[in-house]
Amino acid sequence: MPLDTSTYGLALLRVDGRRWNELRRIHAQIRTQAAADGSSYLEMGHTKVMCVVTGPSEPGPRRGAAGGAAGGGGGAGGQSKDAEVVVNIVIAGFSSVDRKRRGRGDKRTLEMQSTLANTLAATLHTHLFPHSQINISLHVLSQDGSLLAALINAATLACVDAGIPMTDYVTACTAGSTSTYAANDEGADPLLDLNHQEEQELPGLTVATLGDSDRVVALVCESRVQISRLEGMLAVGVDGCKQVREILDQVIKAQGQKMILEGTVDKGTGLNDMDLD
Amino acid sequence: MASLKRSVESDPLAANISNKIYVRSTKSGKVQKIVREVYLRQDIPCSSKLCQRCFTTAPRDASGKLIPFVLSDSPAGTKVFPQGHYLVPDTNAFLTAMDLFEQESAFYDVIVLQIVLEELRNRSLPLYNRLLSLTKSEDKRFYVFFNEFRLETHVPRLDGETVNDRNDRAVRKAVEWYGEHLARSKGKGKDVPAIVMLSNDRDNLKKAKQEGVNACSLADYVKTLKDGEKLLDMIPETQDSDQIKEKRPGDNLYPEYFSMSKMMTGVKNNLLHQGIFNVSPYNYLEGSIRVPAFPKALLILGRENINRAVDGDLVVVEVLPKDQWKEPSTQVIEEDAITKNENPDAEESDDFVSEKERKALQEEVKRTQSKTTEGHAQPTAKVVGVIKRNWRQYVGHIDQSSVSQSANQGKKQDSVFVIPMDKKIPKIRLRTRQVSELLGKRILVTIDAWDRSSRHPSGHFVRSLGELETKAAETEALLLEYDVQYRPFPKTVLDCLPKEGHDWKVPQNLEDPGWKDRQDLRDLLICSIDPIGCQDIDDALHSRPLPNGNFEVGVHIADVSHFVRPGNAMDAEASIRGTTVYLVDKRIDMLPMLLGTDLCSLKPYVERYAFSVIWEMTPSADIVGSRFTKSVIKSREAFSYEQAQLRVDDSSQQDELTTNIRILLDLSKKLKQKRLDAGALSLSSPEVKVQMESETSDPIDVKTKVHLDTMSLVEEFMLLANTSVARRIHEAFPQTAILRRHGAPPKTNFDDLANQLKVKRGLDLSVESSRALADSLDRCVDEKEPFFNTLVRIMATRCMMSAEYFCSGTQSYPEFRHYGLASEIYTHFTSPIRRYADLMAHRQLAAAIEYEAVHPSTRSRGKLEAVCKNINVRHRNAQLAGRASIAYYVGQALRGKATEEDGFVMKIFSNGFVVLVPKFGIESLIRLRDLAETEPQAEFDAENYVLTTGGSRELRVELFQKVRVRVTDQKDETTGKRGVKMELVRTY
Repeated sequence: MPLDTSTYGLALLRVDGRRWNELRRIHAQIRTQAAADGSSYLEMGHTKVMCVVTGPSEPGPRRGAAGGAAGGGGGAGGQSKDAEVVVNIVIAGFSSVDRKRRGRGDKRTLEMQSTLANTLAATLHTHLFPHSQINISLHVLSQDGSLLAALINAATLACVDAGIPMTDYVTACTAGSTSTYAANDEGADPLLDLNHQEEQELPGLTVATLGDSDRVVALVCESRVQISRLEGMLAVGVDGCKQVREILDQVIKAQGQKMILEGTVDKGTGLNDMDLD
Repeated sequence: MASLKRSVESDPLAANISNKIYVRSTKSGKVQKIVREVYLRQDIPCSSKLCQRCFTTAPRDASGKLIPFVLSDSPAGTKVFPQGHYLVPDTNAFLTAMDLFEQESAFYDVIVLQIVLEELRNRSLPLYNRLLSLTKSEDKRFYVFFNEFRLETHVPRLDGETVNDRNDRAVRKAVEWYGEHLARSKGKGKDVPAIVMLSNDRDNLKKAKQEGVNACSLADYVKTLKDGEKLLDMIPETQDSDQIKEKRPGDNLYPEYFSMSKMMTGVKNNLLHQGIFNVSPYNYLEGSIRVPAFPKALLILGRENINRAVDGDLVVVEVLPKDQWKEPSTQVIEEDAITKNENPDAEESDDFVSEKERKALQEEVKRTQSKTTEGHAQPTAKVVGVIKRNWRQYVGHIDQSSVSQSANQGKKQDSVFVIPMDKKIPKIRLRTRQVSELLGKRILVTIDAWDRSSRHPSGHFVRSLGELETKAAETEALLLEYDVQYRPFPKTVLDCLPKEGHDWKVPQNLEDPGWKDRQDLRDLLICSIDPIGCQDIDDALHSRPLPNGNFEVGVHIADVSHFVRPGNAMDAEASIRGTTVYLVDKRIDMLPMLLGTDLCSLKPYVERYAFSVIWEMTPSADIVGSRFTKSVIKSREAFSYEQAQLRVDDSSQQDELTTNIRILLDLSKKLKQKRLDAGALSLSSPEVKVQMESETSDPIDVKTKVHLDTMSLVEEFMLLANTSVARRIHEAFPQTAILRRHGAPPKTNFDDLANQLKVKRGLDLSVESSRALADSLDRCVDEKEPFFNTLVRIMATRCMMSAEYFCSGTQSYPEFRHYGLASEIYTHFTSPIRRYADLMAHRQLAAAIEYEAVHPSTRSRGKLEAVCKNINVRHRNAQLAGRASIAYYVGQALRGKATEEDGFVMKIFSNGFVVLVPKFGIESLIRLRDLAETEPQAEFDAENYVLTTGGSRELRVELFQKVRVRVTDQKDETTGKRGVKMELVRTY
């Protein structure tokens, strides 16, 4: 069994050999499901998720009362002038080590669904699609920390693939701190992109920003941490989001390039400024 | 349909990413496969000051700071490596000989590989922690090299390769890389130090040789050092036992332990029981274990059933069939008397259970079976496995009789027995080359292993403390034995002290931040009352009449929490020490001297910060109101108990201060009566004071302590303050208040004593409540013998549970009760200079009255529980160490003197009895064989507690009897301690 997070101070190395400001390997693909309106597959280290977007489309028949039983609804209901964003997350039983089955009503899943729906509803131009619904299904295949961040990134990619107009990329990552709350270590370093072990042992937060800017669109912190450390963690997190944006941007551009070369789309006017070399 | 598949090669980072895959089993028995990412990199420095390349790529932390390089540019060399060398030990080297690496004479510039650290952590957490503290010490130059994360040294596991083989290969690879790396990147004109792998694995050494890597076994390496001979003893012998011979299974003396999974299943199904093994102080072949399943402890009798368990180990036992149930022994069996003539070398020759042990057992059986009442037999059990050893370092001395003649001359390695000071620990077999030097010295040893084939555990020598019976050696032995931290405070701690040093003063300017929310109580007539010569004055008192006829009473406690801020190095050190330890001639402080005896101490005539508890009381000592405040006080006088008593008794003294003390005294008596009415116990323990000669500080006399009214004056108000504070902090922090409780003792604890009192004196001891117990103790009097009551109280005290600190969230409110004080809730608040618990209570109270913000460490429950656990242990050890110190000095004071004193029989066995001499507060065993030249015949009536001897000396000794004994000093051969020896002169 490997060492725990307390050995960071010995050589400034984290449990998996990274430095404090390094992201894990991110691998992403879009248009993985040809039949869907938009789809993506994303890995951040060993956290693997896939996303399928359907819509904007006419809302299906509602079950039960308003508000929707299926996951968190962002934006307004199907009758209003904005499109409703419906997020559904399925966490596969085999995704974590202890094979725990999470049911539909799992509180943590519900909370992630509503965070995601609210974040996306604020960024997607839902006012362009009145009386309609955007369905985002996310499947978690493997978990190794920073789950919410991976889900946000995958959803962004899938929305781009589906061609839904949006303000900018929403990219997310996690940030933590090298010592526990109780240790109360003044000189604790901030950490970027926590894996599962670090998430278990150390305080951390998830932050999502809009595009290249410093505008924070989602911030979730569920652990106890000294206020003095928060600023450093947030700065590192926002910086991480920018790095993630670069990576996602490359993925989108590479896909676009491929599509033009294959002739799937015309090299339209809007794509003039896209580098083809 | 797009394919998600991608080839590994297409990923540019693939070469730098590896996975660590391993399987672990959880507590519930599930098996999990864990896959973790490993990012390989090339910027992990070698940390040698010789290297000129690594420096440029060395990592920086978030604030841009660099970790300084560790390994010296001119490391020490040996005969074999004259150019100097860096050491790379493997896991086994640390596991077997951590003591060696902590030596000051050698073992510098050591590279600790990540893989080794990992393995060590899995095998032994204490050793891992010791290694970590070595890597943090600046002068030892230990560097942790993360070989698993460096691209060049990362070694993937091959097909069919065992984990151990892979790890060995990883170590060799790292050694090889270090060599090449340094050769390439050192500065010009410098020798490359050799990189030497230390390992005891012959296979690994052989492979290293084949691969051209420098390697030696620990023993071979140590031999090349300057004082190698001495250090060689610190390498445990067990490591080369595999070379000597494979023992035949028939040679095994002890039954084999169950496998861990078998034990776990057994414990789960309630067929086996888990608990901490305790050895009886009077009989080394008898142990007991408390398990949750039964109300009474299970007995474990005999060597075979004890099965290599050592006092304090966490073991698993199996209950024996009913026909093997026995009574607890009524005989005193001392290891040294029975196994005296064993030969440490010739283990296997004699039978496992020696003839004498067998005889002792036979007599036992005879006695049990002659009993008419069978109901007395207690369930017995045998040890089937050890979950966790609680071995530590033991202080002892070499058994003179186990030393062979030849050992005194040559430097040949020789086996000897070490007799630990703690009688509950078995003899330890030690192999050493320096027998002649170590004879007659106090030495520190550790146990390494206890094989099935060896009767005694084997250990190795750690260091020598000095000659037996010298003050320095004995004091250090005592401190080590009770695990008291006695090293001087490190610099990091001293850096936390106020910069002004002894010149620090309460600021004159009332605007100073120190005065914030502090009440000015300098005009109050405050004084302190303490034992003579007390320097760390924790508490001071005042009282004054109020216009409405009530009194204002204040208790002022040194404001230590002002100086010791939570979380800094001084706080950490204090929390580890837990308490100040008082020995007869020495005090081991919890806080540095500057604070304890000056800045915090409420010395007279100077202004000091204090934390005050102020009550308004009616003349009948009912509390009308109480308040808490930080304050500044100026004590008018520091009295000793005797001075204060004289002043109170002298009616000519009518000054205000004295009248105030009289008010306090009056109120304290009323408080005490209230407490006694509520059922508080007044218990007793034999307390004595050793008088020292002022110049040589040699002990000259022993006096029993006298009790003065002024002592209970101080005590009552401290109890009151503690109770008030406990209520307040519990109100503010219902889950995390640090409190002190004293559990009601289980009734069975008093069974023996109640029976003894009933049989011998016809007295009833009722134990339903503390009140009932207090009352029945009051009735235990013997007109002819005033001391009888005290004797019973002493014996009752030993039946009690010990009080403990706890965190309020861990117990329900009714469990908070302090049985002895008959108080619903209690804490320690009044001695923050010498107890860490009080310091925590201060911080919590300060937060409760909104003087300062709550610090996270004082409200994290996990942390508080850890603190409580530690201070409970420290508190107990401090008491034991104090008592042991008194016992040692009593022995020294009596040296060469022989006096006749009165004593009382307080315990009786079939072959001896224990006598307590109140004058010296000592108790000692008188064996039958001590009574006369030839051991007299004896008849023991266990039901009536009477021992009648006949033959060479005719006597009738019974429990509680007053006897006349001659007290002399004697060096106890077993423990090497000078103690008292008692001889029976006559019975009354």
